[in-house]
This record gives sequence, C-alpha cells and structure tokens, in this order.
Amino acid sequence: MNRLLAIASNTFRETIRDKILYSIIFFACIVILGSVAMEEVTIGDQDKVVRSMAQGAIRLFGSVIALFLGVGLVYKELERKTIYTIASKPIPRWIFVLGKYTGLLWVLALELALMALLYTVLMWSRQGAPHSSVYISWVMLYMELGLLTAWALLFSCYSAPTTAALFSISIWTIGHLADDIWHFGQEASSITIQKTSEVIYWILPNFEMFNASAAAVHELPLTLSHFGGVALYGIGYTAVVLTLAVIVFGNRDFK
Amino acid sequence: MTMSNDFAIQTKGLNKVYLSGFWNRKFVGLKGLDLTVNRGEVFGFVGPNGAGKTTTMKILVGLHSATKGEATIFGIDHRNPESKRSVGFLPERPYFYSHLSARELLRFYGRLFNMGGSALEARINELIERVDLVKFADLPLRSYSKGMLQRAGIAQALINSPELIILDEPMSGLDPMGRKLIRDVIFEERERGCTIFFSSHILTDVEQICDRIGLIVRGELRAVGSMEQLIGDDVKDVEATFDIPTGKDLGLKQESITSKRDRDDGSQRLHVTLNKGQVSNVLRDVLGAGGTVIRVEPTKKSLETVLAEKIGEAQQEISETTIGVL
Repeated sequence: MNRLLAIASNTFRETIRDKILYSIIFFACIVILGSVAMEEVTIGDQDKVVRSMAQGAIRLFGSVIALFLGVGLVYKELERKTIYTIASKPIPRWIFVLGKYTGLLWVLALELALMALLYTVLMWSRQGAPHSSVYISWVMLYMELGLLTAWALLFSCYSAPTTAALFSISIWTIGHLADDIWHFGQEASSITIQKTSEVIYWILPNFEMFNASAAAVHELPLTLSHFGGVALYGIGYTAVVLTLAVIVFGNRDFK
Repeated sequence: MTMSNDFAIQTKGLNKVYLSGFWNRKFVGLKGLDLTVNRGEVFGFVGPNGAGKTTTMKILVGLHSATKGEATIFGIDHRNPESKRSVGFLPERPYFYSHLSARELLRFYGRLFNMGGSALEARINELIERVDLVKFADLPLRSYSKGMLQRAGIAQALINSPELIILDEPMSGLDPMGRKLIRDVIFEERERGCTIFFSSHILTDVEQICDRIGLIVRGELRAVGSMEQLIGDDVKDVEATFDIPTGKDLGLKQESITSKRDRDDGSQRLHVTLNKGQVSNVLRDVLGAGGTVIRVEPTKKSLETVLAEKIGEAQQEISETTIGVL
C-alpha cells in the first residue's frame, strides 16, 4: 500500500504542476461564471439556464481533464524513461498502474471540488443553497471521470498520446450515445445492424448512466437505489478496464 | 546447468528476439546467453554497441521479458519482483522526475522499497553526502548537470543498500571527477561485499576495476574470465627508453626505434620497441656504452585487442554462414 501511495502521490504532484491543467480549469471557471450572462439573453426560467450551463461546463471540462491527463499518464513515463528506475524496483506492475490511476483520481477530485465550490458559491449568491441532487450528480460525474480515465489509461499503456486521445474521445462519444445507438439499431430492418448495435451497447460503457445533470438542473430527487446501481456499474466496469490495463502493461517491454 | 543461489546472477540459454516494423521483422538481441556472476565480484560486461549488454540488464531488472531461457538473481527468478529487493540499478542516461529535488527523489525511491521514517531520512542524508550533492539536494533535478544527475542516479541505486548493483554505462559522458566518483563507489561497495555487474565502453576502467569480464558480441558471450585469463600472461613486446651518448651506435634496426631526440647534455634519448629475446643484449650494450636506462616495460595484449579479435571472429562466422547458405 505504501508503494502504491508513493506512486500515487508522485503522480498527483507531477500532474498538478502541469500547465495544461490550469488552463482547462481557468476556462471552466470562465464558463461557469459566464453562465450568469445567459440570464440576460434568456426568456423563461433563467435560474435553470444558469444551472444547466454551469453543470455542463463542470461535466465538459472535467472530461477534458480526465482525457488529456489520462492519455499521457503511462506514456509519459515510457517516453521520458522514468519507468526504468521504477520498474526495476520490487514493484509489481499492477501497483504501478493502480498508483498512477489513483494519483490522477486525486487530481480529478481536487479539480471537481474546486469547480463545485465555485458553483456552490455562485448559486448561493443568486439562488440560495443548491439542491441535494446537485451534490449527488457530482459524485456520479466523478465516477464517470474515473471510468473515462481508466479507458484513457488503458490506451496510454500501448499507444502514443495522440492515438490514445483519439480512442478515448471515441469511447467517450460512443458512451454518451449508447442509448441512441441501441434505439437506432432496434429500429433498423437489418439484423446485422441490430446485433451490432446490441454488441456496442453491452460492451462499450454507457456514460449517460452517470449523467444526473437533468435532476440537478431541475432540482429533482435522485433515489438511493438509482445511485447504488450506477455506482455498482461504474466501479465494476472501471475494475474491468483497469484489469485490462494491468494485463497490457504487464506484458510490454520498456524500450 | 541448474539455477543456484550461490551466484548473484545466473542466466541459462537466455534469448531475446525483438520484432520491429509493420512486418514484425525479427532482430535477435540475445542468443542463448549462459552467464554467471559470482557473489561479491565486480563483473564487467563489454561489447560493441548493439551486442546485447543493455538487453541483458533490462531482462534482469524486469524492463524486458526474455523470449526464452532462464535468469535468476540470488537464486530468485528474475520475473519475481522480490528478486529486485536486493538490487540497485542505474540505467544508461538515467531520467528522473525533473520536478523533484534529489532529496525528494531518494525519498520516493526509498518508499518503493517500503522504507520510511527516520531510517530512510538518515539513509538519504548519508547518500547525498556520499555522492557530493549536499549543496544541491533541495534543488529541482531540472537544474542539474549531466554529472549531477548521474550522481543522483547512483544514490537512488544505493538507497536500499543493495547486495547487487547493476550499472549500465555508468561512466558514459562523465568528466574525470565523475568517473572517479563512480569508481570509488564501486570499490567501496565491493568492500561491503556487494556484487557489481556493469557495462562500459571505457575499457581502461573495466581493466582497472573488474575481477572478471564478459565479452559479448552479437548477443553471444564470446569470452569470460579475469583480465589475466582473457589477455594471457604472454609478453608481446618490450618498450624501453634510454639515454646514450651521441654518436654511439647500438646496432639497432631502424624499425625498432620509435623515436630519437637529442638532449642538451650531449646524449640522445631513444624510445625503442624490442622483442623479448633482444632485451638483455640491448640493455647490456646501453650500459656498456655509458648510457642510462630510463624505462623498460613489457607490453601485453589489451582488452581492446581481445574485444576486436572476438568481434572479428563473430563477423567471420557470419560471413562463413552466409557463404554456406548461398
């Protein structure tokens, strides 16, 4: 455990020194604060528009950070050859992979906490305390980012960041369209398309499961059973992807 | 050959085949390497670029997997992470996290060995002092010179007080002081009973430091033994320097005189290369002519010559095989 934490804390320290992180957080803050300006150009429930836009910014920029940092997570170690002096220590490779992953989870937690704090202060100053579903939606978003990071890490274990980013963005996009793919597939007349859509639906992640933005924006309650189901799905799926990442990383040579 | 824990390192039939390019073209890195490194010895691993030195080291420390064969470290299979508990490794051109200082770096590596607390801090201070980085210990590594990085690298390789140190080209690109530091560390660690397995292109260092040397060419171990065993005791020639009064002729052949210089005192200084049989006669003639003998030194084969011979043999075998195939 000590060794895993050593790698995780080093990853955390290294990542929070990454300028790209601050640039993304800066833009996220601008968009969250800028959501107030939407009031001026909106008719109807202006509060909901502000909440919707701020929630969307947190989700989008959180995903961007998970993607950009995740795809370079292992590859950077290989490219800079810092892996040489780590893998030559008595560290099973799974500890290294999970250590890197844990470090990035800490960064995502910090980033999400910062944006959540900004959102809470903003809402508090304008609309009063945010609804409890807002906080639950952030926990679900954190699980989504955890899964997305696991995918990015898996791709990072065997491909360069550009390719890994391309794969991860594809997974993220397909994962958000999973329900649509299912419905379109079922409406198609071709059996092949129907079966293909089913395979995609069941194999690839369904990121929309983690999306509780609607409940947060409309201040609707989220049930414990729904949250529990999503948590089980998220943790289970993430464990499978991380296992694959460990297998891929465990079998590769460091050149 | 059975694998034994009597040896620090033992490999048996170790093979490594790399696949490269779109068509997975095969490149043989190691061809059935059988190698033993005894406990407590300094073993130099020598060979031309691409011979398989780094590949062997990378397999031993778990950076590469072997295609075939076995390797053990103190009797433990090299694939078992536990085999690395007593190993310190310094890769060629080490790269470290540039945002860390040397002290933080050592703390990080110490934690990877499950070290911690005051024992780790004491070890860090001791090593920082030993590699002469006291003044720079808290500066980020990005501000370090190559020599300083190498010293930090040596310190991280020693953090766990290893019983086996594997150094890949530790002297490459270092200034004389840096090389001396590495040599000193090797000697000190050997005194402690540590085994040192290192590769180097600087053959004079290898000659001076190693108890035994292995010559590897094209993935095959071509020779192994002590310096005496490799280069033999045979004296090839004798180099001599003497002063003789100007005008005295010793009857030496012109080709044996490597240089001749007139001196202010009216004598001539001669540097000559003699064969063994000539030496006593020539020296008698010098003294008989009123001259002075300055230096007499037997020359032996150098490690470089032996290595060049082994490379030549390997090339010869390849061309014979090729002709056979054609």
